[in-house]
Amino acid sequence: MSIMRVRWGPQHPVSGQWAFWLDVDGDIVVNMEPDIGYTHRGIEKVAENRTYIQNVPVVERTSVFDAGNIVFGYVQAVEELMGIEIPERAKYIRTIVGEMSRIVSHLYGLGLLAIAVGFETMLMWFINDRELFLDLFEMLTGARITYSFFIPGGVLHDLPQGFYDEAMRRLDYFERRLKDYWKMFFLNRTFITRTRGVGVLKREDAIRLGVVGPNLRASGVEADVRKDEPYAAYDQIDFIIPTEKEGDAYARGGVRFHELEQSVSIIRQALKKIPDGKIRVKVPITPTPPKGEAYSRVETARGEIGYYIISDGSNRPYRVKISAPSFRNLLAMPFLSRNVPMADIPTIYLSLDLIPLDVDR
Amino acid sequence: MMRKVEEWKEGRCRLFHFEIGKIQDWKPVKDLLNWARAWSLWSVHLCTGCCSPELMAVACSRFDAERFGTLPFPTLRECDLLFILGVVSEKMAKRVKITYEQMPEPKYVIALGDCAISGGLWWDSHNVVQGVDKIIPVDVYVPGCPPRPEAWIQGIRLLQKKIMEGR
Amino acid sequence: MIKVEEEVVETLKQTFTEYVVEAKVQREKRVTVVVKRERLVEIARFLRDNLQFDHIASVSGVDYPEKNEFMVVYHVWSIPKKVLVALKTSVPRDNPHLSSLISVWEGVNYFERETWEMFGIIFDGHPNLSRFLLPEDWDRGFPFRKDFKLRTKPE
Repeated sequence: MSIMRVRWGPQHPVSGQWAFWLDVDGDIVVNMEPDIGYTHRGIEKVAENRTYIQNVPVVERTSVFDAGNIVFGYVQAVEELMGIEIPERAKYIRTIVGEMSRIVSHLYGLGLLAIAVGFETMLMWFINDRELFLDLFEMLTGARITYSFFIPGGVLHDLPQGFYDEAMRRLDYFERRLKDYWKMFFLNRTFITRTRGVGVLKREDAIRLGVVGPNLRASGVEADVRKDEPYAAYDQIDFIIPTEKEGDAYARGGVRFHELEQSVSIIRQALKKIPDGKIRVKVPITPTPPKGEAYSRVETARGEIGYYIISDGSNRPYRVKISAPSFRNLLAMPFLSRNVPMADIPTIYLSLDLIPLDVDR
Repeated sequence: MMRKVEEWKEGRCRLFHFEIGKIQDWKPVKDLLNWARAWSLWSVHLCTGCCSPELMAVACSRFDAERFGTLPFPTLRECDLLFILGVVSEKMAKRVKITYEQMPEPKYVIALGDCAISGGLWWDSHNVVQGVDKIIPVDVYVPGCPPRPEAWIQGIRLLQKKIMEGR
Repeated sequence: MIKVEEEVVETLKQTFTEYVVEAKVQREKRVTVVVKRERLVEIARFLRDNLQFDHIASVSGVDYPEKNEFMVVYHVWSIPKKVLVALKTSVPRDNPHLSSLISVWEGVNYFERETWEMFGIIFDGHPNLSRFLLPEDWDRGFPFRKDFKLRTKPE
């Protein structure tokens, strides 16, 4: 039978900002090639033209879906270069914001996964509950999704009055909703049938391809930067890393769901244990770190992000390399899309939670 | 069938209970058409940049732009509104142009976000088009990075106003 | 705490005496190794097989026009050891050829392709060095090199 080349995207309901080339034999995809670069803004080059503080909103645009954790890595690398130790209270606030950001991002990812399997109600549920945390962000930082809240040296604002009660109220509600999600979505026959056994990524393949984050943990590897190399206040907080063995689309969704539960518990603990004190140390408005280099790792919602920053002693970075999680997960996409029906491609793509913005940078 | 066409040509066909040939004042008809257009703005699903998370917020239940007749729709042949969701890179610019050209008339464009308006944060980037109005005509600009859903909906309302005024 | 890192450094120094230019412990969980590019593949294979560095984290090119060379940095994480090694090697700027590490870590595939596109470093043995992030008709050189200047004023 002859092989036909089909293009998928960028103007396509589930393609996002990229496209695939699919070589199909009937309905079976034999080869898949990603065609990326539709949102390449050259963040790494632009960052060389700005000062360290100006770069905070620039690197945030790597992936605005998870703005808290994305900036987290950058500010940590700058702090390592400058040799700054941030106050305890700032560490806790960062942990809270980082976990809220993770919840927001996972809800978005799960919503897209829901619509990939044709489950529009769940999309509405997830996106609507996402607003709970976007409101909290608005209360804390003044912006919904792009808040540039972390700066080298600490955070911008202290927790506002009434934040504790409001956050606790919302977390209580959200925890009740999580039970509904499990019943409505993860025990749903349609969802199970569409995702069980789809896109199976084995443990060895996941490590070999350099897959990170929930996708790696869904393949049975217990690797999480928050445990391996604790940053901020994660070493003082009690949580577990959810893992699954199957490595299919359902397992990847399941890991994200269990991470939501863990994030709720982390935010609760952090809000209870947060010490008093300053929220940032004094850093000059144009910091000039000494010569050197730093590689900082942070666990974002999609997996580990690495910032490799080289300083030449001036007020602008010499080189900023962003090793983005979706770029590292991207290699799994052509690997998993061999000899699968075409209808499984959206499920595989969205279960890997790839974000083209993050891939292109 | 042929008879109907002949009737249309001769202006004897009836629109509601008027004969078209006898219509002296076309304004109410145009108003009616514009009113219909303004309240069924179906938008193309083409994500270009980072404003896409707010598209979800706008399309889903809390802000719900469907109240104003704006429904993100997969097929561009049936759409009349194109949202430019943020930054337009040079690779995407060609696709934006193709998408715009394939949409049927009448078609409207809303540029969302600073990057789509003028390049925004990426004013010095090597791969970003400095403002989407260099490629296609734009009807409404909505600033913000990304624009809040309320601002987004205000943009839609402004476009509706513009259409209903017949501009 | 710092024992595992020193062990890595010592093993590398003893095994590849001539080819390791510099090896040091940068801080806890960070090891920096500068090697000569002739034996890069063997050293990488040794890191993977004997020292359990199995998870590729990033590949970055750095341009040093004054020294007339590119630095290519492979960051590799070890899941069992929980250590990150930065494997650095330099490439002359006028003849940027380097053997690809795709036979060692398959995950470097897209990273090397990106580095090729942005810096013009040719990875010998890489299966597919073709346009990736930039537009198909891009002809303005290699954007991440230091001599590629961005505009200084808004248009």
